[in-house]
Amino acid sequence: MISLLAAQLLNGLAIGMIYALTAFGLSIIKGLLNVPNFAHGAFYALGAYVCFSALQLGMPFALALLLSFVVPALLGAVVEKLGVAQLMNGSYLYQLLFLFGIALILEQLIIIIWGTVGLSAMPPEWLQGAFDLGFTWIPKYLVFNGIMAALIIATVWVLIERTRLGSQIRAGIDKREMAQCLGLDVSRLVTAGFALGSGLAGMSGGLVLPLLGANSTMGAEMLSIAFVVLVIGGLGSLYGALAAGILVGVIQSVSSVFVPSASTVLIYVAMVATLMIRPQGLFGER
Amino acid sequence: MISGKKMDRRTVLKAGVAALGSSLSGISWGQSANNTLTMGVISQQTGTFAYAGELVLKGAQLAIEERQGSILGNKINLVVRDDEGKPAVGVRRLTEAISSNQLRYFIGNFSSAVGLAELEVARQEKVLQFAAGGSEDFTGSRCSPYTFQWSAHAYTALRATLEYVSKTMPEKKKIYTITADYAFGQSLLHYTQVAAKELGLELVGNANHPSGERQFTQYITKALSARPDIICLLTAGADAVSAIRQFNSFGVKTVQIVGPWTLEVEQMRELSPAMRSGMILGLNYYQDIDTPLNKSFVERYLKVNKNVPSYAAAYGYDAMRTLFLAMEKAQSVDADSVLKTLEGMQYDSIFGPTRIDARTHQVLRPYYVVQCKEANAMKNEFDLASIVSMGEKPQPIELNECKRTA
Repeated sequence: MISLLAAQLLNGLAIGMIYALTAFGLSIIKGLLNVPNFAHGAFYALGAYVCFSALQLGMPFALALLLSFVVPALLGAVVEKLGVAQLMNGSYLYQLLFLFGIALILEQLIIIIWGTVGLSAMPPEWLQGAFDLGFTWIPKYLVFNGIMAALIIATVWVLIERTRLGSQIRAGIDKREMAQCLGLDVSRLVTAGFALGSGLAGMSGGLVLPLLGANSTMGAEMLSIAFVVLVIGGLGSLYGALAAGILVGVIQSVSSVFVPSASTVLIYVAMVATLMIRPQGLFGER
Repeated sequence: MISGKKMDRRTVLKAGVAALGSSLSGISWGQSANNTLTMGVISQQTGTFAYAGELVLKGAQLAIEERQGSILGNKINLVVRDDEGKPAVGVRRLTEAISSNQLRYFIGNFSSAVGLAELEVARQEKVLQFAAGGSEDFTGSRCSPYTFQWSAHAYTALRATLEYVSKTMPEKKKIYTITADYAFGQSLLHYTQVAAKELGLELVGNANHPSGERQFTQYITKALSARPDIICLLTAGADAVSAIRQFNSFGVKTVQIVGPWTLEVEQMRELSPAMRSGMILGLNYYQDIDTPLNKSFVERYLKVNKNVPSYAAAYGYDAMRTLFLAMEKAQSVDADSVLKTLEGMQYDSIFGPTRIDARTHQVLRPYYVVQCKEANAMKNEFDLASIVSMGEKPQPIELNECKRTA
């Protein structure tokens, strides 16, 4: 029983890192725009499809992963510049509806380009197989996923915490008006932040491709989990997403083995409980 | 045209009344005075399983085209309703089609959940339903005089698949099951237990998963810790695709994956050849079935749709074709007459000689076991697997819960 629990904790940790990475991008955009990005799931799906096509063209896995970041990031920049920014002075609802519309358009474009039949890709040869830990097996690719997600989050952390651009983005998130008064080009920062968040969503999609495949509904499925992570972690907290992502991954992994019929609902119960007990989330500020 | 012999007014009136009388006696629900017979396809046209609804329709249309759009002098009016894969929507659309279009026959549903909800409407409204799906309730606890089941029984499916495994891999005895935690999965689990006992196989554990699960590594680690020889996937659709993808990432070559009712051709294509090769699957239909009728069906379907037919299309075609055969045999399009003819009917279907059980309304037909091919063994993009066995052992009568008498 203990070995089974340990196996599920390990599994949950690896899955949770992916949730954390996706929610991290969503958290950046939420912080900058104060609008939940309903197109985030679509960018995640786009990343998976771009990664698939790059692999089909014979590109190495690392390049395919890079493209799964770059393409959604560029598209995110265009969406922000030509759409979200234009609606900045209108009601919050217009931006919300615009992003919802973008999600639907992207989902349909994916179907037009890649079709409705889901797609699969094998992990690179050196990542195939599993580590035998004695008490359990864990796929090498799942471990790679967790490590990559941790590295990407760490890189973005350095970018945000230790660079000039990062400090400007933080200023844009925390005190938008003040940053503007100090002469910062906040609109440029918002575009950069939107691109970064979209790129991170895309890269999550690329990373999970060998495990979850690519299909047109994957965006909506991941978006709901990302929102749960965001709410549990704290809507204003970038790093709450990391802890909450792991928490959700572990809850899902452990509960699906011990109480499978409740595993889906349990993460939403955790979200509701967080909202009731600590509405600002585990790491958010009131 | 009346012959050249002159007719008086009284004779003309008599002839008119006689003609009206004879046509009135032939009028039944679904057959309007101008000899139009309304039949329906009620299936998912939007939503996650939209692909299936579209294929059921294509199959049904092909069967209607074969008859040049009419049966026994009645023009067939095909009505299509989208149930969005939801039982409540299916019931609403069916009820509406019955009241607005006088629908008396329908092909539906590819989804057991929707089909079972529609079964009650069919019973109340005396409409003939030709259903599909994996639930045994259609011909078991909820069997109805107005519902026929085209898909094989879960027992037939499990027995055929596990019998092949036990014959070809006698050293593999220990089975671990991963089961979808709803009626379909639990029904398959029940018959896995029955068939395993009959064949001397040992069940070493089971993990239930909720519907819509995308993360399967936790179930697989749990399964592997029981050291099975076989993992039997009692789940379907996108869930099954995710499970197989993630099983693949473990790189375990000693455990055989068996899917008795797990993947259809559409989902097989979602997996790369490396992920599916060697896998043993049970199927309700596969394009290579070696009967003259199936060969002709596949040829025509391929010509029209530039694709080979799969389970959903075969269901649409064969169920509609069976209804036409019964109408012809009954020499009537009246639903009650056709229903009586269908009970116990023996006919030639795409599976070869086929019979319908008079009491349960289960179509007694073979179930196919296929093994997925490696990429270099595929002759073309459609050549995903080869039929390695088939079985048609019907559900043992003592396990059937249908209370009807034949």
